[in-house]
Amino acid sequence: MSIFTPTNQIRLTNVAVVRMKKGGKRFEIACYKNKVMSWRSGAEKDLDEVLQTNTVFVNVSKGQVAKKDDLSSAFSTDDVTEVCKQILAKGELQVSDKERQSQLEQMFRDIATIVAEKCVNPETKRPYTVILIERAMKDIHFSVKANKSTKQQALEVIKQLKQSIQIQRAHMRLRFVLPAKDGKRLKQKLRPLIKTVENEEFDDQLEMVCLIDPGCFRDIDELIRCETKGKGTLEVLSLKDVEEGDEKLE
Amino acid sequence: MGHTSLEKIIALQKKTSRIRNLCILAHVDHGKTTLADSLVASNGIISSRLAGKLRYLDSREDEQIRGITMKSSAISLQYTTGGNEYLINLIDSPGHVDFSSEVSTAVRLCDGAIVVVDAIEGVCPQTQVVLRQAWLENIRPVLVINKIDRLIVELKLTSQEAFTHLQKILEQVNAVTGSLFTSKVLEERAEKDAEAQSSCTENSSADQVYDWSAGLEETDDSDLYFSPDRGNVVFASAIDGWGFSIHQFAEMYSQKMGIRSSVLLKTLWGDFYLNAKAKKIMKGAQSKGKKPLFVQLVLDNIWNMYDAVVTRRDKEKVEKMVTSLGLKVMSRDLRHSDPKVLLSAICSQWLPVSRAVLSMVCEKLPCPAEISAERVEKLMSVGARRFDSLPEKTQELKKAFLDCSADETAPVIIFVSKMFAVDSKALPQNKQRPLTQEEIAQRRELARQRHAERQAANQSAESPGSADAGGTSTPAGPARGAVTDALCAQTEALSVKAAVEEENKEHFVAFARVYSGVVRKGQKVFVLGPKYDPSLALRALPEGCSVADVLPSIPHMACCTVDSLYLLMGRELEELDEVPSGNVLGIGGMEEFILKSATISTSPACPPFTPLNFEATPIVRVAVEPKHPSEMPKLVRGMRLLNQADPCAEVLIQETGEHVLVTAGEVHLQRCLDDLRERFAKIEISASEPIIPFRETVIRPPKMDMVNEDLGKQQKVAVIHQVKEEQMKNPEGVQVDSTGLVTLTTPNKMATVGVRAIPLPEEVTHLLEDNVELIRTMEQFSLFAWEDKTLDINQKILENIQDFKVKLESNLQGHKWREAVERIWAFGPRRCGPNILLNNIEGYRRPSVWQCLEREKETERAEIRDFDNSIVSGFQLATLSGPMCEEPLMGVCFSVETWHMKISTPLAQQDSVDEDSQPAEPSNDDQSESSDVHETSSNRSRSRVGAAGGSVDCYGPFSGQLIAAMKEACRFAFQAKPQRLMAAMYTCEIMATAEVLGRMYAVLSKREGRVLQEEMKEGTDMFIIKAVLPVAESFGFADEIRKRTSGLASPQLVFSHWEVISSDPFWVPTTEEEYLHFGEKADSTNQTLKYMNAVRRRKGLYVEEKIVEHAEKQRTLSKNK
Repeated sequence: MSIFTPTNQIRLTNVAVVRMKKGGKRFEIACYKNKVMSWRSGAEKDLDEVLQTNTVFVNVSKGQVAKKDDLSSAFSTDDVTEVCKQILAKGELQVSDKERQSQLEQMFRDIATIVAEKCVNPETKRPYTVILIERAMKDIHFSVKANKSTKQQALEVIKQLKQSIQIQRAHMRLRFVLPAKDGKRLKQKLRPLIKTVENEEFDDQLEMVCLIDPGCFRDIDELIRCETKGKGTLEVLSLKDVEEGDEKLE
Repeated sequence: MGHTSLEKIIALQKKTSRIRNLCILAHVDHGKTTLADSLVASNGIISSRLAGKLRYLDSREDEQIRGITMKSSAISLQYTTGGNEYLINLIDSPGHVDFSSEVSTAVRLCDGAIVVVDAIEGVCPQTQVVLRQAWLENIRPVLVINKIDRLIVELKLTSQEAFTHLQKILEQVNAVTGSLFTSKVLEERAEKDAEAQSSCTENSSADQVYDWSAGLEETDDSDLYFSPDRGNVVFASAIDGWGFSIHQFAEMYSQKMGIRSSVLLKTLWGDFYLNAKAKKIMKGAQSKGKKPLFVQLVLDNIWNMYDAVVTRRDKEKVEKMVTSLGLKVMSRDLRHSDPKVLLSAICSQWLPVSRAVLSMVCEKLPCPAEISAERVEKLMSVGARRFDSLPEKTQELKKAFLDCSADETAPVIIFVSKMFAVDSKALPQNKQRPLTQEEIAQRRELARQRHAERQAANQSAESPGSADAGGTSTPAGPARGAVTDALCAQTEALSVKAAVEEENKEHFVAFARVYSGVVRKGQKVFVLGPKYDPSLALRALPEGCSVADVLPSIPHMACCTVDSLYLLMGRELEELDEVPSGNVLGIGGMEEFILKSATISTSPACPPFTPLNFEATPIVRVAVEPKHPSEMPKLVRGMRLLNQADPCAEVLIQETGEHVLVTAGEVHLQRCLDDLRERFAKIEISASEPIIPFRETVIRPPKMDMVNEDLGKQQKVAVIHQVKEEQMKNPEGVQVDSTGLVTLTTPNKMATVGVRAIPLPEEVTHLLEDNVELIRTMEQFSLFAWEDKTLDINQKILENIQDFKVKLESNLQGHKWREAVERIWAFGPRRCGPNILLNNIEGYRRPSVWQCLEREKETERAEIRDFDNSIVSGFQLATLSGPMCEEPLMGVCFSVETWHMKISTPLAQQDSVDEDSQPAEPSNDDQSESSDVHETSSNRSRSRVGAAGGSVDCYGPFSGQLIAAMKEACRFAFQAKPQRLMAAMYTCEIMATAEVLGRMYAVLSKREGRVLQEEMKEGTDMFIIKAVLPVAESFGFADEIRKRTSGLASPQLVFSHWEVISSDPFWVPTTEEEYLHFGEKADSTNQTLKYMNAVRRRKGLYVEEKIVEHAEKQRTLSKNK
């Protein structure tokens, strides 16, 4: 321990400051750390567990309390608690470590869940478990970006995972019925979009059951809609082509 | 005794009457493997000095480390007594409860069993189990009371006390045997009664049974019991290498004292004493306070020996004893500091345990030819089938069994009880054998040649100065030779490495026994699976066909050639050319044909043997995953191999993609995982708790609160800490009225749907679950009808559907359900689940789901019909994943009450314009993402292109919007009702003895189990308890209950049904009473909430919980301080 300990320096521990600019003035409130997000999400219901003190400041670290007039002019109310709630709900704050960590963790899980839902092991046509996907994601050092949607990131992850494990998007099973005259022409156009054709009948009209990559669905949908002028029908037989039921390994 | 040669054993194998197949059974740690060691040592396979320490038959590494046996392994020994040579096929079995399946495989192949009991611990749970197993398989047991030395050294009992103690143990063992006998008698009586009632005048088989069981009741059961004077009990201390039966002492003393040995034999065990004056043996030692004969003549001697050798270390006395016994002890042993060494040196000469046990075995246990007719019938009649009902040809085979002849003509019958994996290195083909003389000579010649060449090279290269040293004495020569040798060795090693890759493949050897005939290498045989039916095959096959013919394929039957035959010698295998009947053997090259067990025969009439009686069924479930996800295929292959190698393990892939391993217990699990890691998969794996499924449902609003007070009368108190008012989380466009009707409008304000959720009665849910197939057929029919095609359904299914409809109607009574059955719109999820969508819209008619029952077709098509499918799809999506934790719904009825559409004009023309005006999608990712939205929204929806359905606005296709709206409406409707989780339940059957009932109940109640019934098993002191237990609580249940009850209760778990968990996951105290009772935060854990949050956390959904519970108390050390 050093001999000289500054006694005049006051450190703010366990304080999270929430700021808001309103009516050209800056207002701050002093809150506990790791609590503001819980309040916003509704998990924390007790205001006293969130606020350090029921006071609105101009500057928390200097301890300058906001003037009553300013408050009432900016928020058009005298009730300090009400003002605090408003600032809590809309003010800006530094997200603390634990909050960020839990948020990222949750997103990571969410991404893994989405990947597990959308993908299968192409060999067995069975889904991977979430835990396995999570581990694979850690293996490829995937880092979550907090400002991108989980779905978007999940689609990126699938691409990256393909290099390390056997994984592919579960195919969609489609059936379309096309009028005979458009049939041939359309078939040529559809061919590159289709993965495998399971069944094909061509008498008075073309009827096909096929597996496609879910990413191509919109293209196929549009193609059929525009080309046949509404005479063709498209039907999704199953969203995910996966094996059902338990299988005993023998 | 020298090492028994292979030739000798082969010769002995042919003498059926000299073969004894036996196994060693006992509770864990009672000394089976140690005893086996001493027996093995008697054949000179291991040093007798190491016997008891080496545990020769525990060949696995983890067996040696843990000190318990984990698999049954066999060894063939040879023993000579009274001029007769015997071949003893000894099988050592594990004692731990988790491996009782291995015991079953061992017991099946044997004719007799050595039951080992610890002299201190007495009869333990597994002792009872093994006695029962031996009983069920009809094999004759003999008893070895082991660890008598502990009575002397540890407990320090006097010989008198020890005698009473031993008597007690014997009584315990006999009590178990007795109860087995009585329970069988009672069972038979019950069976007989039932049969007598049902078929008084039926065929003769009933009469036979009657006569037979009646006879059994009358027969004296005393020959079942163990008694030293019968010669079926040996007292031993396998660790010190001694053991004796009464016979040995009787003979010894009859010479010494001149009493007839038969008299001694009768009186040596029991309440007799020697009257020295009268030179008579008198009864009633106990009452007169005299030393019983056994104590005086037998135990005292041993006690003296221990006293002299171990306790007092009296050298002179020891020497005196040794000389008086006429033994020779090496001076090395005499001088050894550890008295145990001396003791075992003396004892193993004086009373060698192997002699006592093996002679008892040879005398008392039956040879293979003496197999009883009763046992044969039991083996041959699978399941409930009577022996008499088997085809005649099959019945004829019984004779072959009884003869057990090794004739050429006798049909070959082999039973394979398990498959075990062997490293290819251990196979005799790949083993290094000692070289024969010629080979050695040949090699020497080669070496000499090489040497000569080298020499020549040396001479030409080196300076002529060293030429005089042309002989072998040149120092440089050998040195260089060594170099080239090393080179050679290196290249050899390289080639070996390549070979090793191939050899690392696991080989499976079938653990089997020949019951009849002679099996030869290269012979063609039928391999019959456990489900094979001889009557089927006999019909299909021509008369008198053999294996060599080309045969039509018959289920569960395969033809193959016997690749190789092995003699099992513990950890080693010896190759054989033929094996005659009555022997235990290993068969190689069967892994393609046999999964776990099978019957091998040359006759197609042979029935498969009855499945093994497994005392433990696999119940411990874990999910197994590779550490590196890319190694998945290796894991799957490894699990397949494991399944084949382990009689009791089960492996399966679940719908969720989990690979589940089911084992009999935690130790078994550990072994299976080790096997997977090191042998079969050779990858790192992790095992975890398997995923537990849940279902979501709604219930009627409860009338009582949590403290059983009527809810109606109490007023709700404002809960203080819930300052934040319950804000309606519903986004715009959703209205919920007080009755739970949810109205929701699509984002483009074109359509509005009103949905209400209603709980279905339990019976209806069950009905729906049971009739999934019917619903699927109905669904198919309506699908075809939609496309103006017809699907032909046969009459029987139609009747079933009609039946189903009537049942539904009878279960859906009351004004709420008026005409409900007629108005069913769809079932879900996946179009056939246990949830219903009802059409309660005024004036909206659509073809009913029952249209397959009505032949005439409705052709009327409303405009709204085009979106019919969107509504159904929305419903399907909503039922597939509920709002609580995205698990499927169950037993919920969604009734659509209103449905308004504003658009009716086709917007086809606008379509393409809209499409083009949409901003081009920036990247492929985005594109596929947006199509994902579409993907969910268009689940089975028909894009009726050109009709109104095709309209596209800024919110995406309209059909998609409608689906999303319907889905959301359903979810909100669901949330408007009291929600509950449903848990999967196991029914759990527990067998337990009376004294552990209390502790078992404690475990059950701790894990939220509920006891349904409890009854005592007739004739035993066992209780059978039936209980239900949530699957979520079952992880580790079996292990806990075994631990708590010291293994006396063994549970069996089977999935039974779904059950609503009564507590509300969102419950907080609201009424005054609850408030008083639970406090403001309801601190007691809410089980349902715990389940729900666990699922949500696993799926990465939002979990409503605080990061920090108490803000003031969190750790706030900043980093720069």
